Amino acid sequence: MKVDIRIAVTDGWIDTPDGIKHYIFGFVDITGVPEAEIFNYCGKAELMAPPLVFIVGDEVYLTLTNIGTPTRPDLDDPHTIHYHGFPNQIAFYDGVPEPSIAVPVGRNFTYYYKPLNPGTYMYHCHQEPVEHIQMGMTGPLIVRPADYDPDYPEYKTAYGHGTGTEFDREFYIFLSELDCHIHDLIAKVQDPDWTEYKPTYWLINGRSYPDTITNPTPCCLQQQPWSALIRANAGEKVLLRFVNLGFQQHALQLPGTVFKIIGMDAMRPLGRNGEDLSFFKNVVYISPGQSTDAIFTVPDPFQGQAGFPVVLSLYNRNLNKNYTAGMVPGGMISQVHIYPPGTLPPQTAPNQ
Amino acid sequence: MPTINLWATDGYISTPGGKSIYIWGFTDQEGGSAQLPGPTIIIKEEQPPAETVFDINLTNNLNEPVSLTFPGQKNVKVNGQRVQPQYNNGELVSLTNYALPGETITYSVTTSSPGTFLYESGTNPFKQVQMGLYGAIIVRPCDYEPHETGLCTAYGTGTGTEFDREYLLVLSEVDPAFHQAVKQGRDYDTRQFKPRYWMINGRCAPDTMLPDYTPQLPNQPYGAMILMEPGEKVLLRYAGAGIQNHPLHPHGHHTRLVGLDGRLLQNINNGEVNDLSYERFTVLAAAGQTCDQIYTWAGLGFDPATNPIPTTIPNLRNMSIGHLGWTLWSGSPYLGHKGELPSGMVSYNNAGEEYFMLHSHAELEITNWGAYPGGLMTMIAVYPPGTLGFNQGMLPTSL
Ligand SMILES: [Cu+2]
Ligand SMILES: [Cu+2]
Repeated sequence: MKVDIRIAVTDGWIDTPDGIKHYIFGFVDITGVPEAEIFNYCGKAELMAPPLVFIVGDEVYLTLTNIGTPTRPDLDDPHTIHYHGFPNQIAFYDGVPEPSIAVPVGRNFTYYYKPLNPGTYMYHCHQEPVEHIQMGMTGPLIVRPADYDPDYPEYKTAYGHGTGTEFDREFYIFLSELDCHIHDLIAKVQDPDWTEYKPTYWLINGRSYPDTITNPTPCCLQQQPWSALIRANAGEKVLLRFVNLGFQQHALQLPGTVFKIIGMDAMRPLGRNGEDLSFFKNVVYISPGQSTDAIFTVPDPFQGQAGFPVVLSLYNRNLNKNYTAGMVPGGMISQVHIYPPGTLPPQTAPNQ
Repeated sequence: MPTINLWATDGYISTPGGKSIYIWGFTDQEGGSAQLPGPTIIIKEEQPPAETVFDINLTNNLNEPVSLTFPGQKNVKVNGQRVQPQYNNGELVSLTNYALPGETITYSVTTSSPGTFLYESGTNPFKQVQMGLYGAIIVRPCDYEPHETGLCTAYGTGTGTEFDREYLLVLSEVDPAFHQAVKQGRDYDTRQFKPRYWMINGRCAPDTMLPDYTPQLPNQPYGAMILMEPGEKVLLRYAGAGIQNHPLHPHGHHTRLVGLDGRLLQNINNGEVNDLSYERFTVLAAAGQTCDQIYTWAGLGFDPATNPIPTTIPNLRNMSIGHLGWTLWSGSPYLGHKGELPSGMVSYNNAGEEYFMLHSHAELEITNWGAYPGGLMTMIAVYPPGTLGFNQGMLPTSL
């Protein structure tokens, strides 16, 4: 199917639970927005960036429009989109400025992708990537198998019919860190020393706990639209799509269940002769630039009884990362809310 | 039996910013300066059941004891005895037998497997390895023949590790304050360790892209640019010589991880082969570990005459090209073609080759003391078919 998407790049401000706002660069979806209105999106960058979801065989025309950074009007940085992990990409569409093209303020560039391999990928800006990735120009990208059909359980899979990757619900678990000192320097037109990088916040889907499990309000989280709350019925299969676009390794665990690792870096773990190398893990250890697809079966604490949702905690086993600015519990924590079988209707989009 | 002579000595390396950093390291030239990393040792295994043994004569021209460890090798002997930790009045002074200043020690090493390995100092190792006393060992399978179909492999014929070209990437990080303290004979609190430079083969980007033995880097002889042609199998050998883990991401394709720590990722049970290799787009090259991988890039079949790209090339004067006035781009989206670049732009493109970045995704590591671009980054240059020399990216068969 031909898919037209238009993504704008701009800046914005995000919230952490301690009431502080942090300056970011980022992406926002402007697909279908009339030309005269695209500048309404200036300053409206989102963290995490809008997830991109394709199906194998799609012909994707992704237009990047640089609408500038109103908080830093002096900045005339070009930007790009790098589709991280796309096999056999040509340099022209790879989004790396040094060997191709970047997009200056006020300009557009259209990237073409025809994804042929399903899995969990990511995308980010590759202009001066240390700065632009840390500043928030990062998001997840899913490619569904060609036979994907959510109406038939055996075709609602991560990697295709017969690959053992069926799921009932799926969630982005998009990991990053934020060094508030560096964000502050950049808001104030100063140059950070990146070797002094020292994150103060650890984020899932662009939010720090308890924001990970709450809803935006008129004052807060307006530019962080993605909750990380995992809601599922007992007995269902839940696919977590972990992506790490921070600069640190992370170790996510979810006591009360066990992960089956069915994908790493948008590949089923398969030997050269098709050997199934999938395995079980309690901790998903994931380094920057990696993705992991983990499926768990939601335990059933109800045993036929009605009841209130039962909660499991998802958190970082690097326990120092479960804090907000080092002080209060927060950071890379989220929850699984388990409902009695049949309570929640089928999911129609990720992270519902 | 091959014999290698190494001298432990000191010297200087330089960073792209023109800074000079004092190092300790190895050289295979008597009276030479230390180089970073140390000379690559390449050994071809004997046909089993014969064992493969090589000797290293290490002469210590530094002012403190120096030794060598050989992680992953089967057996290491000095004077016919297995090496042992060394104590002085009950205090551990070295993980292995060492040479005192001015002395020479001979290690006899029995290899265990084909693959990629490190050799490094086992004496005061936090200090000495940081200072540069490390290098790589490549052990070739006994049936290795360069350029011979099926025999040009990392782990032996039939192991699925055939390659057309190979590149060794030794990874490390440097805290210049530490090196300065050692130079001045000052104490250094290891808790203060804070790298400012990250290196491939002892070089920071963009110097990683300069050729081997480039004259301006006399003590950093090994380049790290990956040159290849479409469809070729390229063996990438990562060796983690630092104390940090580095998530390395090559653009353009996944790699298939075929060997870890110099061991083929394969089990054989009752004659049945279980291949344990797998593909990733980011491989964590962890401290002390080695990762042997096969990388390939075939492109998407675009051709200006028969299969043009489905978008229009924008007016390049309206776009941002390259970095600070230079680009690696040819100006064309097609491999082997050149296009018109905006005037004043310096292009380092030779033959319409395409460049794909290979870099640490812990992005602060692709800076030189905080300034991008730099650090643990290089490029994969895919040249048009038939344009690269036969021996490009072929290390010697053995020493
Ligand atoms: Cu990336
Ligand atoms: Cu990259």
